[in-house]
Amino acid sequence: MRFVIAGNSAAGVAAVETLRRLGGRQNHITVVTDEPGETYSRCMLPDLLAGKKTEYSIRLRPPDFYRKLGVELLGGVAAVALQPGEKKLLLQDGRELAYDRLLVATGARPVLPEVPGAEARGVFTLRTLTDARLIASLAPRVSRAVIAGGGLVGLKTAYALKTAGLDGVTVVVTSPRLLIRQLDEEAAALVERELRSAGINFIYNARIKAFVTGSGGDLAGVELEDGRELPAGLAVVAKGVRPNDTLVGEAGGETGKGIVVDRYLRTTLENVYAAGDCIQVTDRVTAQKVSSALWTLAFEQGRYAAANMLGLARPYPAPLTRLNSARFGTVDVISVGRLEGPEVMARYDPLRFTYRRLVFDGERLAGFILAGKVDGAGVYTALVKSGRPAWTYRRQLLEGRAGSVALSNFLTFH
Amino acid sequence: MQKEVLINFDRCLGCRSCQLACAVAHSTAGNLFGAILNGEKPRTRIFVHQVGGQKAPLNCRHCEDAPCIDACIAGAMHRQEDGTVTNVGGEQQCTACWMCVMVCPYGVIRSDAAGTMALKCDRECRDEAGVPACVRACPTGALVYAGVDEYSGRRRVDVLARALQQVSGNF
Ligand SMILES: Cc1cc2nc3c(=O)[nH]c(=O)nc-3n(C[C@H](O)[C@H](O)[C@H](O)COP(=O)(O)OP(=O)(O)OC[C@H]3O[C@@H](n4cnc5c(N)ncnc54)[C@H](O)[C@@H]3O)c2cc1C
Ligand code: SF4
Ligand code: SF4
Repeated sequence: MRFVIAGNSAAGVAAVETLRRLGGRQNHITVVTDEPGETYSRCMLPDLLAGKKTEYSIRLRPPDFYRKLGVELLGGVAAVALQPGEKKLLLQDGRELAYDRLLVATGARPVLPEVPGAEARGVFTLRTLTDARLIASLAPRVSRAVIAGGGLVGLKTAYALKTAGLDGVTVVVTSPRLLIRQLDEEAAALVERELRSAGINFIYNARIKAFVTGSGGDLAGVELEDGRELPAGLAVVAKGVRPNDTLVGEAGGETGKGIVVDRYLRTTLENVYAAGDCIQVTDRVTAQKVSSALWTLAFEQGRYAAANMLGLARPYPAPLTRLNSARFGTVDVISVGRLEGPEVMARYDPLRFTYRRLVFDGERLAGFILAGKVDGAGVYTALVKSGRPAWTYRRQLLEGRAGSVALSNFLTFH
Repeated sequence: MQKEVLINFDRCLGCRSCQLACAVAHSTAGNLFGAILNGEKPRTRIFVHQVGGQKAPLNCRHCEDAPCIDACIAGAMHRQEDGTVTNVGGEQQCTACWMCVMVCPYGVIRSDAAGTMALKCDRECRDEAGVPACVRACPTGALVYAGVDEYSGRRRVDVLARALQQVSGNF
């Protein structure tokens, strides 16, 4: 059988490994990616900016990965069209790849603001290694940077630039506080305190009106809607991502908040599967249709898609789509499941410098936040995921004594 | 058959010998007094919990479709040939992002003392006979290193199920 995979990141790599592990060596596997070079961890790009990691150390797999698995890698070439009838994928350079089964794992791309000057030199998004290289090469030559967006990528970028030695780093946030989609007020305040003490500034309830350019067309500053002007030689826009679903969409496949797939991760096009940031999933607790947009999900979907492409019929269970872990200085935060619900309990544990918040929906733990120390978080995640009664454990969970819950997880899953 | 650290929950007395042995085996000094003299804070990767009147140890199950491997953004968490799931000894280095901590259902991944990497059962503690330190240290036979067989598996967890039922009333 001929397998073609478009995309060489979390979902693509997991699929390749699974195709070989479960399918042996006889199948032909080709991976196409529009990025040059080896697979790397996108999530670690901020560490690269901060100077904490090198390009070498953010590789996801060793250099001989594809050769060892006997996989053909076509790098630096985009797939531009899909002909499901002929079972062909057309590449930018005119090549045509025939497949028996195709996996679309094309991920997502950053949303760009539609404001004047967004194309100025010095305005970036951070999604690819190329982006990171461009930002890293400009950063030492400027003294002030503006980050648009108070989400995880925005804050990680701000922290990284500060760590790299940039003097003035300001985050412009549309909402009244940071991490509005990941954290409640208390946990967000812990993160904000940490970032402020690192020297990062925040402007809330503010929108960018224009990027202002100087003489040579380089960025000179950012103008806000309220009239304020912030001088800056570098700006990074981190306002979320959009799924790369056009290959499938233009070929007549169904798309919504990403490529629509069934529980076997099949698109509506025959013999075409999809996994990762490019697909739409149904959230396990809210039952809402949302973009996938998480590393963990991309990886597990790549695994499931590959098994299904081999004909093993592995239904992919509805995932938790809030599943975030982040570190800012000494503050670790983990946020899973719903942020709000019928019954909310929260407590700061001064002994362990840890804030815990639980959201219950009836007997069921629907979500939680841990900020400070996060050891044992997975025990809570498993409760949210399984949906089994957890109300009797509320005190232990709130106090971070989750031992008996861990053991009950053991009985449930093992 | 791949070997696992099997837990006979009915035998655990809660003496925590396994915890101590695990921590010491993973210390740089390799023995208790050396570790103390070095000022090391050895950390255990096996945890003895209290469930009602019952004590119960728990460590990594080296899961088949391990969630911690899916979650690892660094590519550090991987499976070795013998089935061991570990974030050391591979090509990539742990970056302490706690993604694995977020998804391990048994809470058996912890941070090191300095918060710079995730620690878990890596079976690096096995002696010349291939026996893990926790198993060697357990005086009651609550921990056994062997291949799994379904029937004895049921019996081993029965007592745990009963203890949990008493504390939670909903099992
Ligand atoms: C700075 C940053 C930090 C992040 N931090 C976290 C985090 O802490 N936790 C978390 O869960 N997630 C995080 N994410 C998100 C995470 O990186 C993504 O969820 C994950 O990378 C998705 O993997 P993927 O394989 O679906 O797609 P992507 O990683 O987006 O990769 C897409 C692949 O497809 C290729 N491709 C795209 N279009 C084409 C085409 N037309 N032809 C050929 N190839 C194509 C690309 O070259 C690439 O190889 C972060 C993202 C960023 C940018
Ligand atoms: S660390 Fe947890 S998730 Fe990973 S293999 Fe061990 S028990 Fe499974
Ligand atoms: S803490 Fe280390 S092992 Fe765990 S997911 Fe992060 S990088 Fe991987």
